[in-house]
Amino acid sequence: MSANFAYQNTRDFEFILQEWLPTEQIFNYPRFAAYYSKDEVKTFLAPILKMCKEVIEPTNTDGEKNPVRFENGQVKTPPSFGPLFAKLQGEGWGTSNIDESEDAMVMPHILHAMVWEMFNAANPTFGPYIILTSGAAGLIQSFGSRRLKDMFLPKLMDGTWSGTMCLTEPSAGSDVGDILSRAYPTETPEIFKIKGQKIFITGGDNDFTENIIHLYLARVEGARPGTAGISLFVVPKYWVNDDGSFSGNDVQTTGVEHKLGQAGSVTAALSFGENDACRGWLLGVNPLENEGKGQGMAMMFQMMNMARMETGHLALSCIANAFYNARDYCRERIQGRLLTDPKSGRVPIMKHEDIKRTLLMGKAHVEVMRAMLYKTYFAFDVRAHDPDPARREKANDLIEVTTPLCKAYPSDEGWWLCGEAIQAYGGYGYCEEYPVAQIARDIKIYSIWEGTNYIQALDLVGRKMTMKKGSVFTAFIENIAEFCSAPRNEGQFTREFANLEKALTAYRQMQKILLKLASNQQMNLVAVYARRILTATAQLYGAYLILDQACLAQKRLGELPADHYDRAFYQGKVEAARYYLLNVVPNVWLIAELLASEDTSVVDIPSESFNY
Amino acid sequence: MKVLVCVKQTFDTEAKIELKDGKISDAGINLIINPYDEVAVEGGIQLKEKGIAKEVVVVSAGSDKAMDAIRTALAMGADRGILVKQDTAADEYARACALAEVIKGESPDIVLAGHVAADDGSSQVPTRIAEILGFPHVNVITAVEIAGGKATCTSEADGGTQVTEVSLPAVISSQVSWNEPRYPSMKGIMAAKKKPVSTVDAAAVANKVAIVSVALPPSKQAGIKIEDEPAVVGAKLADWMLNTVKVEVK
Ligand SMILES: Cc1cc2nc3c(=O)[nH]c(=O)nc-3n(C[C@H](O)[C@H](O)[C@H](O)COP(=O)(O)OP(=O)(O)OC[C@H]3O[C@@H](n4cnc5c(N)ncnc54)[C@H](O)[C@@H]3O)c2cc1C
Repeated sequence: MSANFAYQNTRDFEFILQEWLPTEQIFNYPRFAAYYSKDEVKTFLAPILKMCKEVIEPTNTDGEKNPVRFENGQVKTPPSFGPLFAKLQGEGWGTSNIDESEDAMVMPHILHAMVWEMFNAANPTFGPYIILTSGAAGLIQSFGSRRLKDMFLPKLMDGTWSGTMCLTEPSAGSDVGDILSRAYPTETPEIFKIKGQKIFITGGDNDFTENIIHLYLARVEGARPGTAGISLFVVPKYWVNDDGSFSGNDVQTTGVEHKLGQAGSVTAALSFGENDACRGWLLGVNPLENEGKGQGMAMMFQMMNMARMETGHLALSCIANAFYNARDYCRERIQGRLLTDPKSGRVPIMKHEDIKRTLLMGKAHVEVMRAMLYKTYFAFDVRAHDPDPARREKANDLIEVTTPLCKAYPSDEGWWLCGEAIQAYGGYGYCEEYPVAQIARDIKIYSIWEGTNYIQALDLVGRKMTMKKGSVFTAFIENIAEFCSAPRNEGQFTREFANLEKALTAYRQMQKILLKLASNQQMNLVAVYARRILTATAQLYGAYLILDQACLAQKRLGELPADHYDRAFYQGKVEAARYYLLNVVPNVWLIAELLASEDTSVVDIPSESFNY
Repeated sequence: MKVLVCVKQTFDTEAKIELKDGKISDAGINLIINPYDEVAVEGGIQLKEKGIAKEVVVVSAGSDKAMDAIRTALAMGADRGILVKQDTAADEYARACALAEVIKGESPDIVLAGHVAADDGSSQVPTRIAEILGFPHVNVITAVEIAGGKATCTSEADGGTQVTEVSLPAVISSQVSWNEPRYPSMKGIMAAKKKPVSTVDAAAVANKVAIVSVALPPSKQAGIKIEDEPAVVGAKLADWMLNTVKVEVK
């Protein structure tokens, strides 16, 4: 039970903001220009380390000691969560950063995300209470009438109320189109009666906000079946009257889940309209006036895409914190003698090759994922604020293609990577007094919620690869090819570039096979390989990003004197890239070979054979 | 009522001190507000929140980098900043003269500061400022009440507390236990950027002391660990003390 926030510095963030990405473009947008420049980002980042250690980390311990409970129909959250929610929301670290009103004081999305990487590392089970509130507020901000905005936004932003996303039902998880929740028109056109059951709702109830605003998917009675007929509603736990007072809204919590991890996070089962007295506000058109078509799914995708990014981001926080903890432990733990110098004394285990390899493997993955996520967060700022429509569109394309990668890659790798962080500790890692055990329990959910990683793989292969007739994805891959063929110094990363090129060639081969399978109607084989194709795509893209960073780091190393303090950072970047390119990237051509084999064992095995 | 808080920028207390060319090197070091001064800033802001002070002005003497310390104090809630540009090699006397000069121009009712700086630990500047300005000075305070042009301060005293009453204007320097400094809020950080900060050159005053040399403490020798039966451990330890460390027995 020892939560530990082990980030030591913000150097990689500064590298991303001040050296790698052209963020001056963002800091110069009129929205941000009156405030800080990219050279001043430490003003934000520096206090966060201390705040995480002193203010947030203790709440993580609290979450483990006082997990969420459901007693006499009431949800009880860990006692420190409410005050933390009020503090972070009230001080402007959370939802108010999405505020689009003219005089809002907001920071660029990319910088905000860095702050949250640290907050989430200090307590991953707390983050979603605010992330979901931001998502819910974002939907009202984008699609709500003036009246709804005035009614809900100020209190969602200042921490008085919280928000959720309600998709999942007992019989409809991945298949949102099959939801049974219904909405019935009332005399007021925007208000509908709501009836249905939702399960697994994160932050679905709590004991610290006055009201909870559910963004709720339901089908208006008479609308089309499937996802096409679904609409989105704003369903408050307590109905908000015109004078701001509350009336009951027939929303009941029927229980909370007991989970592998995320002990501090409420996962609620909710019943809406059990007594026919639940009402919600419709966002968008009434499907009965639109040939039965609802706009709910399309709208909810705004929140889901954001939440998918945040899910991958949470996984990154957990992996980074697990390996930073492992690093600290491996420096302290004395065990064994050097293989190369057995006569010398016992050494810290950090000195053993296998431990160093484990730590470098963790570091390389963390830095690849960070590069991947923050490049997409950069695109969020461009999409939201750039005056040039062509740039905005390009940014949107990158976001579309990389969202499934950003969600699934960290959350897939995170599970075994945390296992390796535990392995580096040895027996103590398996014990709850050390933080990595909890991190491993907490991280598993990220490959499941917000659409399982198989759903992400289908999104990549089925939608993103074919978007705008495939031109977007072609450009995405072409970018990597251009990077490979750009002029570079003789002898610089020769083997690493060779691997990147080899992976690229293999990947293109894979794309051809995919096309063939699709045109032969062999979608079942595409499905068999889909998750692995996503992994290969992320590894190819991640390899390009980390090698790009390493080239920059190499250049800096050439400029700095031999005893400069910052050399260790740049050298670390170079070695992380080398490790990734030489040890991880070969998986891309392995997967390409596997696909080329068109192995049908999965298709062929009868389900009865699993009896044995 | 105007409160002026003196803040010094120091190394992060967790920073590893290294010497380069015989001087303490600040390369790669995270710089922070001296934690004792941070308490003074918090104290000033609380006086404002209680409606006692109207304005909280932060003053820092140092290099351009000290602007970050001022911004942090503004982000916490101070209203205005003054950077007194001064060579970082200035001694406590020169520093106090430079600050006193600015304080004279500002004529605050209360001057707050931490009682000591976490880096050189000399505990001189607030006292010197009071001396130069002819203000009363109360040190290591843990609480203060302001009323009727007077400050009633509770300070730490040997084995107990001491309550002192002084008339304003006065210099009051804080003990860390006075309060718990707040973290700057995001809104505070944003707002800080738009708060006024002026820059002045330090009054030209020569140092009174010269630093002759700086040295790091000798690094600790690795200890030894003797593991055995208690009786054997005792004998081995005695042998180690006599023959290896050569402890003299008189
Ligand atoms: C802790 C927690 C918090 C959650 N928070 C929320 C929340 O806030 N709001 C919300 O709406 N939901 C939430 N969920 C629900 C979550 O999004 C779903 O669990 C998830 O989408 C999967 O749905 P399911 O559990 O019904 O699994 P199923 O859909 O039954 O899937 C089971 C398995 O089958 C696979 N599968 C499903 N369909 C197919 C297919 N067509 N082809 C191939 N494979 C398929 C899946 O990939 C998965 O591996 C949460 C869940 C948990 C556990």
